[in-house]
Amino acid sequence: MSLLQSLKNAVRSRSIHVAYVNVGSCNGCDIEILACLSPRYDIEQYGIYVHNNPREADVLLITGAFSPQWEDKLKPLWDKIPHPKVAVAIGNCPISGCVFNRPETLVDPPVSKHIPIAAEIPGCPPRPTEIISTILSLAPIIFKDYEETKK
Amino acid sequence: MFSIIYYIREFLRPQWITTFFTAKTAPLVTPPYFRDFPELTDKECTHCLACMMICPAPDAITVVKREEIWRPEITKGHCIRCGLCIEACPEDVLTSGRILAYKKEEELTLKGTFHIEIDQSKCMGCGNCTVACPVNREIDPSLRSSGTSSSGEVIMRVDTGQNKVLHEEKCTGCKTCEESCSNQAIRVARVVEALQGVEE
Repeated sequence: MSLLQSLKNAVRSRSIHVAYVNVGSCNGCDIEILACLSPRYDIEQYGIYVHNNPREADVLLITGAFSPQWEDKLKPLWDKIPHPKVAVAIGNCPISGCVFNRPETLVDPPVSKHIPIAAEIPGCPPRPTEIISTILSLAPIIFKDYEETKK
Repeated sequence: MFSIIYYIREFLRPQWITTFFTAKTAPLVTPPYFRDFPELTDKECTHCLACMMICPAPDAITVVKREEIWRPEITKGHCIRCGLCIEACPEDVLTSGRILAYKKEEELTLKGTFHIEIDQSKCMGCGNCTVACPVNREIDPSLRSSGTSSSGEVIMRVDTGQNKVLHEEKCTGCKTCEESCSNQAIRVARVVEALQGVEE
């Protein structure tokens, strides 16, 4: 491993930038993401920063059961994120639609139909600790030695 | 002057520097009272399906037979951790957090009935639901394809071209009628009341 790569690994492990997008959630999961920012859970001590800008994001957190308005918007948003990138589905809705996935409703879950999802966190909503531990366990798999393994 | 020296000395202490750079909040543990996904106890499931009937999320809980034993299984990604299945189960097969403890303390039971509603403007009296109903078949095996029945004990029957509900209280909430209706005219609603104290 080159010196440059080890330097990149060291920096990336302490600088994970997160953007979250609500594709038709009831806001419950968004509140749990918000709780991660609070002093009790404090994601910045792990080097996770929320910018909510896809251009500088590494991790995209997706909540919600995919309403029809996002049909033409989520894929362009995913394409805007620079590599290496990863998408995490938060809550039951992006996985199965859960209670909203009934006959005569317009939601179109799972979100993995539309963009590649690397990890799914079940729960309605999941605990903040579950969200943090997922991001932390996923980050080394995706970002470590990215330049060397992508070929 | 003294204070400045005091501050410099204070902030150069190795212990202060190490705690400043490595400070972390205590690792977060899930408290024991957290209502997590339901887990199995060692009690025996009697296949009464009370958990499946009460569950508000589609496909979240299924009672399946594995190795000759009936067992409820939770599907993560569908389960919303509401704990209603734990409260509804008469045998305490499932557990999560302190639900079983307060269920015992308050002598909590859930009593459910089913309400059948037929939209007469949509119903065309074909009798599909009446024939499909498994309870109806048991009461009157000679139920004909038109849905008419000579028995007055069936849940519903087609009478003079209209489907009429006779014995709502016999419904088990399987919703077979909803699936067989081509017009979505029939709806089965669950009416649940929670009871405290021992039933007389």
